[in-house]
Amino acid sequence: MTGRSITSRTPRFVVLGAFVGVLYLCLPLFGLLRKVSWSSLFSRLSDGPTLAALRLSLVTSTLATLVAVVLGMPIAWVLARVSFKGRAIVRSLVMLPMVLPPVVGGVALLGAYGRSQGVIGPVLFDVFGIQLTFSPAGVVVAEAFVALPFLVMAVEGGLRGLDPRYEESAAVMGAGDTTRYWRVTLRLLRPSLVAGIAVAWARALGEFGATITFAGNIEGRTKTAPLAVYLLLESDPEAAYALSLVMLVVCVGVLVALRDRWIGNRS
Amino acid sequence: MYVRRATSALVAVALSVGFTGCGSGAATPVRTAGLEGAITVSAAVSLTDSFTELAKQFRTDNPKVKVQLNFGSSSSLVAQIQAGAPADIMASADLGNIEKLVDSGHVVGRNYPKVFARNSMAIAVKPGNPLDIKTVADLASAKFVALCGKTVPCGIYAASVIARAGISIAESKVTRGVDAKATLGAVATGDADAAVVYYTDVVAAKKSVLVVNIPQSQNVNAVYGIAPIRGSKNLAVAEAFIAFALSDTGQKILQAYGFERL
Repeated sequence: MTGRSITSRTPRFVVLGAFVGVLYLCLPLFGLLRKVSWSSLFSRLSDGPTLAALRLSLVTSTLATLVAVVLGMPIAWVLARVSFKGRAIVRSLVMLPMVLPPVVGGVALLGAYGRSQGVIGPVLFDVFGIQLTFSPAGVVVAEAFVALPFLVMAVEGGLRGLDPRYEESAAVMGAGDTTRYWRVTLRLLRPSLVAGIAVAWARALGEFGATITFAGNIEGRTKTAPLAVYLLLESDPEAAYALSLVMLVVCVGVLVALRDRWIGNRS
Repeated sequence: MYVRRATSALVAVALSVGFTGCGSGAATPVRTAGLEGAITVSAAVSLTDSFTELAKQFRTDNPKVKVQLNFGSSSSLVAQIQAGAPADIMASADLGNIEKLVDSGHVVGRNYPKVFARNSMAIAVKPGNPLDIKTVADLASAKFVALCGKTVPCGIYAASVIARAGISIAESKVTRGVDAKATLGAVATGDADAAVVYYTDVVAAKKSVLVVNIPQSQNVNAVYGIAPIRGSKNLAVAEAFIAFALSDTGQKILQAYGFERL
């Protein structure tokens, strides 16, 4: 069956609905671009605190993605390949931060890692002298919390879609478990892992609610780009639009860079 | 909190759009029991509890009236109104933000804005006051202090309180909340050692924080202004609500929430 024949059978109202939907998504982007003052763009962005927020966001979101990969890969593996009682419950729990309001996530993080009222936060502080709240490490914790499920979802889907024959033949040819994991499974998994990293990173970069609730909003320490955008909207809207534009460009850049991989993955 | 407030603001806008259509067409400026229609009141976050009660009383007196409350930081509410958000009343935690609306022609009537409440600042600390903070100057010893944004009224008031005490707090120790309640929340549920916010907010959160009073000589006089907004479809109701806030009953309600009587 060719694509053309399917297209010719697509009802008009579906096409119209898709058009309206795309317009709905794109109009705000246009609205943002319209607000950007292009002539003063560079001077707005090179302002000390704005630059610091941007740098902090790039560093913390990258580290958060790293945390998500290290913790998320084993979770995805277990969820996809080990059948055990309560797997559905574990999966729901892992996916919870994805649907939880981020502020609630931040409150939950305070309940666990907060210095004064957390479950293990006081121990961390009294024994190791570590205070996550109001620290850049706390930003990473908050961002990784919301980004992790996205990585797990992508990688688990990838693992389920793998053709088991490749791994089986590797085993038949005498490859040990570890070799097989690194040289066969991981290589086959690369497209979904890359996709998972991309969405996890984008989610971490845009994190607001959990970050401000758990890590606070301290200039140069925990004030990430989204927090800066929100506060700048009141004091310096032009700087807020400039910063929004940078985040938009970065995210579009990631999507474009991944386009081939995604399409390659499908066909 | 951020997400929930945005949603309720949307709901308020949606409801006010829906309800204003049913309002009484003949808006006669007489404050009697015959009032009818819906109004949206945009009010500073520090008015959350007092205005919720004020609106409840107002509705008991005028059963055919609906009052939608939209809370936000004063400056963001002004921006909303200037961007065309439907509001009938603006109640700000200062006079500066209302003046902005007067300048942009959004306030209707020459007698407005009217001062309807006074507030002051206070320090909120953790229960038991572990750092033994007794004065504004003691804030210098706190590890993390929560303040409102630099450009919103509660942040400006806090800055002048700190300046009057003759100390400065490094920006690397200051976490800035999106509004007065969120700033207080950094002490109540978070790890901030102290917050400088409105006295009324600290009083409202007395279960989770301890109030440290700031002497009058070091304090500020936060003057709250209220005005009806041009384009209101229920101006009579809006003006009646403002009159109610200024009345003896209204002032008593505000007083019960820690505001100073006019």
